[in-house]
Parts: sequence; structure tokens; C-alpha cells
Amino acid sequence: MKNLHGIIFACRSDANLGELTRPRNTCSLPYGGRYRLIDFMLSNYVNAGITDVGIIVHESYQSLLDHVGSGKDWELSRTHGGLRILPPFGYAERGGEYRGDMDALEGVADYLENIRQEHVILAWGDMAVNLPVADIYRRHIETGADVTMVCTPTLKGAPRFSEYVKVNEEGRVTELSVHPVAADQALESLEIYVISKKLLLDLVNYCSAHDIYQFSRGVLQPRLKELKLMSYIHEGYVARFQSVAGYYDHSMELLEPQVYGELFNLDRPVRTKDRSSCPTYYGPDAKSNHSLVADGCIIEGEVENSIISRGVVIEKGAKVTNSVLMQNTVVKSGASLAYVITDKDVLVNEDRMLMGHATYPLAIAKGSVV
Amino acid sequence: MKKEVVAMLLAGGQGSRLYALTSHVAKPAVPFGGKYRIIDFPLSNCANSGIDTVGVLTQYRPLELNSYIGSGQPWDLDRSDGGVHILPPYMREGDQGTWYKGTANAIYQNIGFLDLYDPEYVVILSGDHIYKMDYADMVDLHKKTGAACTISVLEVTMEEATRFGIMNVDETDRVYEFEEKPKQPKSNLASMGIYVFTWSKLRQYLIDDEADPTSSNDFGKNIIPRMLDANEIMMAYRFQGYWKDVGTIDSLWDANMDMLAIKNEKGINPYDPSWPIYSRTPIRPPHVTGEHAKLSHSLVTGGCKIDGVVENSVLFHSVVVEEGADVQYSILMPGTVVKKGAKVAYSIVAEGAVIGEDAVVGAPPSDEPDWGIAVVAGGVKIGDKAVVKPHAMIREDVKGGEQA
Repeated sequence: MKNLHGIIFACRSDANLGELTRPRNTCSLPYGGRYRLIDFMLSNYVNAGITDVGIIVHESYQSLLDHVGSGKDWELSRTHGGLRILPPFGYAERGGEYRGDMDALEGVADYLENIRQEHVILAWGDMAVNLPVADIYRRHIETGADVTMVCTPTLKGAPRFSEYVKVNEEGRVTELSVHPVAADQALESLEIYVISKKLLLDLVNYCSAHDIYQFSRGVLQPRLKELKLMSYIHEGYVARFQSVAGYYDHSMELLEPQVYGELFNLDRPVRTKDRSSCPTYYGPDAKSNHSLVADGCIIEGEVENSIISRGVVIEKGAKVTNSVLMQNTVVKSGASLAYVITDKDVLVNEDRMLMGHATYPLAIAKGSVV
Repeated sequence: MKKEVVAMLLAGGQGSRLYALTSHVAKPAVPFGGKYRIIDFPLSNCANSGIDTVGVLTQYRPLELNSYIGSGQPWDLDRSDGGVHILPPYMREGDQGTWYKGTANAIYQNIGFLDLYDPEYVVILSGDHIYKMDYADMVDLHKKTGAACTISVLEVTMEEATRFGIMNVDETDRVYEFEEKPKQPKSNLASMGIYVFTWSKLRQYLIDDEADPTSSNDFGKNIIPRMLDANEIMMAYRFQGYWKDVGTIDSLWDANMDMLAIKNEKGINPYDPSWPIYSRTPIRPPHVTGEHAKLSHSLVTGGCKIDGVVENSVLFHSVVVEEGADVQYSILMPGTVVKKGAKVAYSIVAEGAVIGEDAVVGAPPSDEPDWGIAVVAGGVKIGDKAVVKPHAMIREDVKGGEQA
């Protein structure tokens, strides 16, 4: 894929995710036992043969930097091209977060000028999806679209956060509604676009001059007739994260074999930072049922219906059900957790009882001692 | 380019006593401990000991080993100055050049490589032992004593001593005699096949040894005795901790089982963050356990799907154990599939083998004289309801219902 450049927006953190995004940008939210959300889009790009990727960041991106490093775990540590982290440049006088994707692109306009590929794919880095990017690009070229937009037929977001489209029989988008009150359309936009570098630069310049900061509302919506906006429908699993309960639900969905198979498709593997973890050890009295367990754990207690991340320790006599434990959580003996999300490095001491509910899981902040 | 210490890792051995497990790969590339290969231990020891230049001498079936080592990145040995180098035998002017004739000859043939780095000391390692060791500490002893050669030794029992190369030492641990498998051992210090040499000394001994047509060009048989005869200072370095030769099916199985004893201080603890064992691992998602899974005292790795019973076993990545299957005291290498109702006990199943429904592979220890660990070679298919007897060595598919 020599002719496609990848851009990932990693510049929003969602207040609705509460404790989970306080220490980080949504893109570096841990998910699925060993991943950060950005791993999915990065892997999608790399698996399509994309060699040059720019990640647009704005603030609280330290954990993201830690995670992606030089990009070597995604084969993006290269002499030519490779991974670039793009913090805001010359944006200081305006201050505040980027107001939208066009605003963010304007913030890195110099970088865009120097892209050596003819086409660019743009996506947010805060969703879990395994996309056939090579196929999307091929369709973009074949249909001669100005812009190709990736859509999903299964609504994954809440209407007030999402964008919906209607398409004609050729797949051309005929109607686009941004953040409607109710979703009556069949397709949700994933806000993933393929566009030529030339058109993108023209649009960024235009938006900059007219203070337009959103691609969908500011560019696509008013130009639906003028621009050939084609849809690409992705039927597979998509998870978008807009609340703590939603995060919990999407985590639990990983226990469904079909979702696991789609998201972790071995032909398009999801790459992540290599921690050189050991295998997971199950002790003599361990129990593990209907759970997803990453490497490097020591499990001597009981685990059921749960997502267990790398380096978690569950002592003998401890019981974890319907929970999501992030990296290095330690559950001491006799403790009992149900419907709990523990962030990284949480310590739950002996005999503690923590309980949330499926509709209101209890989220415990990074590094807490219970 | 000068380096104080360069390590040379002898990885050319065929490992013929591992039979079917080494029919496609060199012994150092044999999977070990759920996530590793045997060579990860000496390579990680090098990285953790601060040795950044390592030559890996390969000869037998090197392809998988070569691609496994690659740039050396998992062990932080991808360096612009030094790093890990694969050293196969090669041809020289005319028709000179041969396979590596022996361990000493392998190093002799790579004098040119060592001269590039002009080291003070060379550490000689082999690729068939599981242990954690700080080579820097051994080099320190070597320097302090001004030795020409320092040999790492392990204290064994007097009975075991008859099976090892034994170092007889004086009160300062200086070696005065070396005996290969002595009937009446005078000491219990067994050589671990790990040597530190002062390079300028070793270089000359290698050249002299090569000139001797009667020599078998081996460190233990030729170089060490020759150096002793010449009254060089040879020191024993007493190693304490876990060390296991994994050159046989039984010892390989044993050492894998030892990996389960993570709480045993005498075992090898892979979870110890102060001495990590690095490995190159394929990209796999976390493993999943099903409704019927029963896991105890076992190691499980990424990409596994477990819905049966797994006890006292080591599972590498992407192993599938279906509902109703039962795995006991076994080692299942990457991609093994154990189908519904199959029973696997006291077995080593190599990469990608498939155990059919209701098949039986191996059995718990019994009084039968030929009981032993059963081995199923890589890619072999054991048919439904087939039976593989204990101690069997299965290299070809076994049809459904048959016995092998």
C-alpha cells in the first residue's frame, strides 16, 4: 500500500468515560486484556501495508507516547516514513482542545503538505474494529469517489454522539445527519474517510479560512451533491466507547466467540506493545470459566465471565466474576469482585467485597488501593 | 569496535536424543516453557549480564533458528555496534572450509569474527540448557584470579557425578584435573559447559588444536586437557541455582514441569522482573476459557481456547482443548488441537499436531517396563479413537481406531 497514508486522530478524551479516561486520552484506554484502543486502528493500517502513519495528539498523550514508542511493535520504526506523533504546532494562541477533525488537521497542516502518498485515510483511534483497509482503499479507487466513508449497519453508538447516513443503490451517500435526536437511518458513520491528499489539503485550507472545524458537518453535509461521497459498509464487529457502562458491555462482548473471532482475525492480527510477558499460571485451586485472560497473570483464585489483563494476580480464595481487571491489578485472598472495572495497578486487599451492577459497573481509578 | 566480552553460543547441535522434536529444527529452537525456546535462556542471560555482542554458531537445520533470532530485537541485541550474529560454517579460498567438526573447531572457524571485536574475554555457551546466570559475575572471578579459563560448575551428588565431566579442584577452586564421566569421582563439581576464556590464550590453543590431525576439536576432550597440561590457571566458578540440561525427552519434560513450580525458590521463576527471559512471540490475542474449562497448576499462553480439563500441563500459544478433552502432565506446543473426549497424559505434543476425538495419547506412570513420555511430532494427525501408547514416538499420522 505504497500510495496510502494513515492519519489517526488521538486528540479527544471523553468525559463520559469518567475514571477510565482521567489519566489518559481515550485512544490509550486499555481494552481486551492486552490492548489500547489505538492498537486497532494502527494495526488496521499496518495490516493493509501502510508504512507512514501520523497520530494527531493534543493533550494528556503521555500514556499514548509510552505505548506506541517508536512504533516498532507495529513495524513502523522505519528509516523512511514510519510513525510520527503530531502534537499541536502554532496552536497555542487559540488554546483549548481541537474542536473537531478539520481543526486538528489544520493544526498539523505542515505535516500534511509533506505526505509522500497520493491518498490519505483518516480515522479516530478510539474504537475497536478490525477493518480491511486494503479493501476499502481498492473500492475508493474503483468507484472514483472523492471521499469514501466507512459505515456500519449495526448501530454501535448513542444517537447523540453519532453520525448517520442514507445511501442510494450505488452506495453514494445521499443524506448525512450529525448527532440527531433519534437514529432513523440504517447506517452509522464510523468517521473514517479515504480522500486524496490534494483534495484534503484544499479542504483544510478552505476550512481554515472559513473557521470550519468539522469535516462531516462543515464539509460533507453542505457538499453532498458536489462531492462524490461513497459509503463502504463494514459488516463486522465495531465497538465505540461513550460511557463506562458501554465500555463494560463491549468488554463482555469479547467473550462471544464470534466477536473474538472477528476482532482478533489472525489474518489481520491486532498488534500491541510487546511486554515480553510470561505465560499465565493457573494454581492448583484455580478456576477460570468463560473468561478472556492475557499472558503474564498468576491466577490461584476463581475467575468467571471476566476480562483479565496482563500481569494480573488473583490470589487463592479470591473470586472475580463479571469484571474487567486491567493491567497489574492484584486481588488478595478472600476478596470478592463482581461487576467491577479496575484500572491499571489497582490493589484490592484481603476480604474486600466490591460489587457493581451490569448496568452500573463500579470503576476503580488507576493505582487505587482498596 | 573493541569489546571487552563477546559471547559465542554453540547452537549447531542436532539434538538427536530429542528424536522427532528436532526433525525440523535445531535443538536450541525447540519450544520450551509455554512461551520460550531453549535459546531464549542463554540469549536473555547475555542481555541481562550486559553482554551486547553474541555470535550464534549454527549448522544443523538453521532456518527456523535464524528467523527466530532475526535482528535480535526481543533480547535487545539489535545493535549497530555488536549485537547478535548468526555464524554458519562457510567456504574459504579454494575448496577450504568444512562443517563445524567440533565445538572448538566451530570457534576456530570464527576467529575472524572474534578478531573484529578484539575482545579480552570470550564466553562460550551452549544452546541446550535452561538456567539463569549472571555471566558478568563469572567474568569478574575470571579477571580477579587472572585465569586463562574459568569453567562454570554445579555441585551434583556423587552418584550423578559419574555421568558428568568432573572438575577436581584445590582449596582455591583452581582446577588441577578434569575427568570425563569418572567411575570413581574425586569431586562433585560437574562442568556445565559454560566457559570464560582469555581470548588471546584461547586463540592460540585453537590454532594449535586445529594443527593436530588427531584432535577431535572439542573443548571438553581437547582444549581443556591441553590447557591443564600446560599448567594454565583454570578456575572453577561455582554456580548456584536452577540448571537443567534438556537434551533428552525426559529431561525436556521434567524441565517444562519445573516451570510450573513458580513458588519454589529452587525452580526457575519466569515472573522475576529482575531477570526477565525474553522471547520472540507471535501476535496472539489473550486466551479464552469456556464454560466447561477446568484449569489447574498449568501454564497457558495467548490464543489458546480451553473448554476441557487441563492439569499440570504447559500450553503454548494457540492450543485448542475442546469440551470433554482431558490433558494431564503434558506439554502442548503451539497450535496443538485436542478434540472432544480425547485424553492426553504424560506426553509432549509438537507444533500443530491434532489429537482426534476420543483418542488416547500416553498414560500415567505404571509398572510396565517400557513406560515413558509419549511424543507426537509436529503436524501429525492422530485419528479419532486412536491410541498412542506410553513412550511411543509418533512421526506419522495414526489412523482412526488404530494403535501406535
